[in-house]
Amino acid sequence: MSIGLDSYLVVAGLVFVIGFFGVLLRRNTLIVLMGLELMLNGCNIALVAFSRYHATPANPMMEGNLFVFFIITVAAAEVAVGLAIIVQLFRLRQTVMLNELQLLKD
Amino acid sequence: MNPETLLFCILFLPLGAALVIACFGRRHGSFSAAVSVGSSFAQMALSLWLLWGIWDESALQPQAQWLVFGDVRFHMGFLLNNTAALLLFVVSFVGFWIHLFSIGYTRGDPGRGRFFGGMSIFMFAMMGLVLADNLFMMFIFWELVGFSSYMLIAHYFERPAAAAAANKAFIVNRVGDFGFLIGIIWCYLHFGTVDLAELEVLAAANPEMLLTPISLLLISGVLGKSAQVPLHVWLPDAMEGPTPVSALIHAATMVAAGVYLLGRIYFMYTETALTAIIVIGTVTAIYSAICAFGVSDIKKILAYSTLSQLGFLVAAFGMGTRFGLYEQELEGARLFGVGAANFHLTTHAFFKALLFLGAGSILHACHHQQDIFKLGGLWRRMPLTFLFFTIAVLAIAGIPPLAGFHSKDAILFLAYEESQVVFYVLVLTTLLTAWYMGRLYFVTFFGKPRTEEAEGARESSWVMWLPLGVLAVYSVLGGFMFVYPPGLHFLIDQSVMHPVGGDYTLMLVISVACGGLGLALGYLVYFRMGAESDVVGRRLPGFHGFLRSRLFIDEIYGFYVRAIQQRVAEFLAFLDQILISGLLVRGSAGIAAILGVVARGSFTGSLHGYVYWLLAGMLLFSLYAFGIFG
Repeated sequence: MSIGLDSYLVVAGLVFVIGFFGVLLRRNTLIVLMGLELMLNGCNIALVAFSRYHATPANPMMEGNLFVFFIITVAAAEVAVGLAIIVQLFRLRQTVMLNELQLLKD
Repeated sequence: MNPETLLFCILFLPLGAALVIACFGRRHGSFSAAVSVGSSFAQMALSLWLLWGIWDESALQPQAQWLVFGDVRFHMGFLLNNTAALLLFVVSFVGFWIHLFSIGYTRGDPGRGRFFGGMSIFMFAMMGLVLADNLFMMFIFWELVGFSSYMLIAHYFERPAAAAAANKAFIVNRVGDFGFLIGIIWCYLHFGTVDLAELEVLAAANPEMLLTPISLLLISGVLGKSAQVPLHVWLPDAMEGPTPVSALIHAATMVAAGVYLLGRIYFMYTETALTAIIVIGTVTAIYSAICAFGVSDIKKILAYSTLSQLGFLVAAFGMGTRFGLYEQELEGARLFGVGAANFHLTTHAFFKALLFLGAGSILHACHHQQDIFKLGGLWRRMPLTFLFFTIAVLAIAGIPPLAGFHSKDAILFLAYEESQVVFYVLVLTTLLTAWYMGRLYFVTFFGKPRTEEAEGARESSWVMWLPLGVLAVYSVLGGFMFVYPPGLHFLIDQSVMHPVGGDYTLMLVISVACGGLGLALGYLVYFRMGAESDVVGRRLPGFHGFLRSRLFIDEIYGFYVRAIQQRVAEFLAFLDQILISGLLVRGSAGIAAILGVVARGSFTGSLHGYVYWLLAGMLLFSLYAFGIFG
């Protein structure tokens, strides 16, 4: 059995969905942040796969890979900021659980 | 200095004084008095300088653009012509002496700063009204003099009567001013301009363009400000204000503004409108003269006298201008009305201000005992006031050669030429004028003092009798031209139709007879038959009741306001509550509030909730993107 585009997309979709449900269902802010990272990486896999399989001799540029580099860079920055926020949040409120952080209610 | 700059200074000096008083002077009465009187003096000095030395008697109209809406342009500017120059002289001259008098009159008054601030605002507004070169600008200052009048009538606002009188003056004036405003707007729509000079050219070129309704609407402003029947009710009540205010605003200058407006746009009236003016003026003259017998308050008698004289002015304007319409080929006849009215306006300003200031001097000395039957015997106690008051009484009675004789004669002669009925009514009014002035004069000054207040009267200080003296000089000499700046002679000498020859003798005889007989009747009826109370009230209580009733005009207005206007207002208030307030304002606010309550439910504060919203949004968006709906 050959590994085709569909297999990559399935993996990418799985990673994305795992991340999404992590964001949706977990209450720990750190886990939510990790879920977000997983979603980004799911997208990255899909982008790389599309780029690889859709490359032609006439157009070998593989733009998808370029996108991925950008996303990784931005994600790194975002994680740094996110973690800093979480650390500050913990200092301020002694908790990082989402169900206890409801200041915006009403 | 060029005349434009000078006019600018004359107009804005008192406003500056009022600003200084408003900022620093409200607690410092003497400081405010100094600022206000100083500005008034400077105003008088500049006006006299302008009129005697600089102005060359040609119409002067400096302008500046004010508002531009597309093709519609408005100007602000001054128009210094014969009428404006005359009023400039009268207002600044009489104004200064009344300011000086006020220093003495308001000594010890805690509201002195407020009083002088109001006086300065009035001088500013009155000057603006006099100098304005178009009707819109005139209307602005017209309202400003109304405001300062309101403010000064309510000077003793802790007295309910004063507060009510101020409201009454303002509201009654609003009725007239509303008509005036509509007239101005209509005038603009009809002629395409409200500039006085342009209107004069237009009206002269196309006499058929003049419309009676516009004339009548413009007159309605005059009815309010000059207190003509049927809008006269506010002026007697306005005497609740301090006496210098009554002298300045409600006798000499502001109430003359209506007559001034008539003269300023003398070319705007049709024959019908002029007839209406004559009727209104004549009715006011005789009606107020009769009312003057029904009151015993010294200031109210003078107020009715003012009303009566204003009626004279208005009637004189109407008759002279109508005469000019008929006699188009006669040189200068168009200005006969303006001339006669403004000549009497000027002399009246002098002797009526003198009468009021004399009354103020008496009241100041007699602890504000205003009932003439509770005064008496003042001639020995206040000799200077007595002397000057005598001059004023003789002047208003029309005894030659005092000022009132010359100007009143010109008006009577106009009536003689123009309409027999008006002539007889005005002659009767002249007789009544002398009669009620005689009543006031003999009861107040002669006999024995009838109360402690009159017993303890002393002559007032020089700041109070000096203005009386100056005004007395002008009340004596006001009929002769050498006391006026040369630029004014055209209007109050050449444009006045003086009787000559046999007519002159006739007028002289009528004037002396009416004046002498009136004063004699005042002496015989009200003094010889006992001055301790009103003799008519003792002997003929029914007739006295009729005189006091003022023809029930106040009661009729009160009834109208209570029974009709109040009902309509309540109905409108109900509609307002239901429709505007209920449906539109509360309704639209309510919809927003309900939406807010609903939307607030979505703000759970839970991050997971927001993620679901995000999901729902993405779903909707992708449905749209795939073309499933939308």
